[in-house]
Amino acid sequence: MRSWITDTFFASLAYVGASFLTFSVLMPLQNVFFPEYPSRASLLFLPHGVRVLAAWLLGWRAVPALLPGVFIVFALLGGADVFLANRLLAIAIAVTTAPAVFYLLKWAGWDLFPAPGRSPCWACIMGVGGITSVLVSILTNMAFGSSTSEYVAFLIGDMSGLLFLMFGLYFAFRVIDRRA
Amino acid sequence: MTEISKLAELRKLVHSMERTLGLEELSPVERDIYYAAEELSKNGSEIRTYGLIEHTLVQNVSRPTFFRALKSLVQKGYLAHSGNANRGRYIVNAPR
Repeated sequence: MRSWITDTFFASLAYVGASFLTFSVLMPLQNVFFPEYPSRASLLFLPHGVRVLAAWLLGWRAVPALLPGVFIVFALLGGADVFLANRLLAIAIAVTTAPAVFYLLKWAGWDLFPAPGRSPCWACIMGVGGITSVLVSILTNMAFGSSTSEYVAFLIGDMSGLLFLMFGLYFAFRVIDRRA
Repeated sequence: MTEISKLAELRKLVHSMERTLGLEELSPVERDIYYAAEELSKNGSEIRTYGLIEHTLVQNVSRPTFFRALKSLVQKGYLAHSGNANRGRYIVNAPR
């Protein structure tokens, strides 16, 4: 039970933190450097990285672990609209797609989950990030009715978000190691 | 999976990225031995050479390469000889 609470706290905190960084720091910078870019989608969407890494690490437990964080972000962005059916559907899509992709791949004989004696394959995780991004884009489009031109922007933002999150972890571990 | 092993798995994932992108400071064999040592070390307990050499990650490593890499890991501070007299025992350290 304690482990569930800890997982939920850290996964949701990471999701809210990544969203804050994306919407409060990166998107204003994007608007400054690419003022003519028409889409409202972020080109560096860090929360996607949190979704994928949480699903890889926690499996189906990533769904309840991420749910509070995703709900908070949707509530902060959309206010009371968070309770609209399409928003609730989008929240469900955001938390379930990445674990579903990992389990589907496992069912197909390609188990990427961490296990003793197995070296993780970061390129495979990036691949799952790509598949998840496409699926989330298609499903979210069904819920929100975004234009298809946004798909490419979503894919770029999600993949760069996952990659930069992993670089962020790389530098964080380096700093921790140097201080240890 | 415990909190520490989740962190260890994240580190392994990042190390896998480092390896592919050529950012690492350890050789592939040293890295595998370090991963194996991390897994075998429970709550900071000692690990033994014979346990390490039988780990699945280092099964295909020749003995001379294994011992060279082990010595290198000690020199780089990733592993330390246990305080006991027996030199076949090590403690896993966080990298310097």
